[in-house]
Amino acid sequence: MRCLLFESIIAACLMGCASEYAHLQKTQTDKDCSDKILPLTIETSWYDASVDVVGKHISGLLLIKNMPDSSKRVVFTSEAGLTFFDFSFSKEGRFSTVSVVKQFDRKAVIQTLQRDFALLLGIPFLNNVGQRYTTGDDVYFGFKEKNGTAYFITNKDCASLQRLEWGDKRKRLVTVRTPGSGFPTPALIEVDHHTFKMNIRLTRIQKE
Amino acid sequence: MHKGTFFACEMKKEWAMVVLLTIFISVAGYSQRQGYRPIGDLATFKKQFAAESSKVSSIESTFTQEKVLTALTEKITSTGKFWFKRSNRVRIEYIKPYAYTMIMNGDKMLLRDDQKENTVNVRSNKLFQQINQIMIDCVQGTVLESKDFSVKVFEDEKTYLLELDPTARSLREFFSTIVLKVDKKDFSAHSIEMNEKAGDKTTILFKEKKLNTQFSDAVFAF
Repeated sequence: MRCLLFESIIAACLMGCASEYAHLQKTQTDKDCSDKILPLTIETSWYDASVDVVGKHISGLLLIKNMPDSSKRVVFTSEAGLTFFDFSFSKEGRFSTVSVVKQFDRKAVIQTLQRDFALLLGIPFLNNVGQRYTTGDDVYFGFKEKNGTAYFITNKDCASLQRLEWGDKRKRLVTVRTPGSGFPTPALIEVDHHTFKMNIRLTRIQKE
Repeated sequence: MHKGTFFACEMKKEWAMVVLLTIFISVAGYSQRQGYRPIGDLATFKKQFAAESSKVSSIESTFTQEKVLTALTEKITSTGKFWFKRSNRVRIEYIKPYAYTMIMNGDKMLLRDDQKENTVNVRSNKLFQQINQIMIDCVQGTVLESKDFSVKVFEDEKTYLLELDPTARSLREFFSTIVLKVDKKDFSAHSIEMNEKAGDKTTILFKEKKLNTQFSDAVFAF
């Protein structure tokens, strides 16, 4: 009995410690599906933004703007108009900070936001070839980056994009979902972090 | 071409450039305050401004806010309702195209979006206190007494234009200038224009103003 209990604890621990991506089965790539989903684009839009991070709540307006030179800008302002940050992703996906107020100018904050917006804008999928995996009804396309792997996830018939994820070797780090209408005009975008309490909710603003 | 003629020709070109540049700079400078002239006696104006604006005990109005991101050629316009009651009580309620409410009541401030509401003690946050105070000072006519700004005053037929240059470092980080226009007929705020360092601009234009009407204090309760 004692032995059984010990084995159960070990089994539970092993299951708990197992990589969340261990069940992915590597398969041959599927260029048709990849080409159907990519490139991910979001039309220039304003979003009503709500951010909850470790018990604090911040709201404002987020502009995602496609520039004439094919770069993308992400600008966050307060409802009353003050610009908090202005980030840029070049055509090739290079990130730069155009402006940031002191309150947001922390390395960890900028790196976190950079990764979140890069995933949302499909930046990791731009210049790489993805590895296809399957698990159950889900099909994962993984694109290895320096600090993890970016996934876009679709279903077996590649009908639509299900979600986006950042993951490291063991854990899922970030999930991006667009419930309802999807790209290029998602009405709602939800970004959830799994290793600390942070989520971003963006609701598309219908301009008058 | 003879060397001397060449130089003379080049000098003429340079002069032409200088003249054009001077005209351009003058026009640019003029167009910033187009139609406005500096007021003659600032001390007298300050006294008159303090006396007249103190007669405004409450304001109820609608507003249109336009945020312009100059470098991105983008703008977003929002509309809502505005309430002010002397002293130090302001409610700004954004209605379209998003819902957001700010209530400033003395040292306390409420921020409410469609998800949550936060109460802030502005005394615990100097920046909040200063930004809060800008709005209060602009609508209750005490901005000329503020130590956070140096002020230049201009006028046209219908309005006074107060150009506020932030002197406080914390405000200079956000704003290059704040321009307050005041209606001459009743000394109430006509518009507030906040110019940011990067060139972005937010203008709040007050409309359908009702001065000194009775409305419940519950507007500012939270």
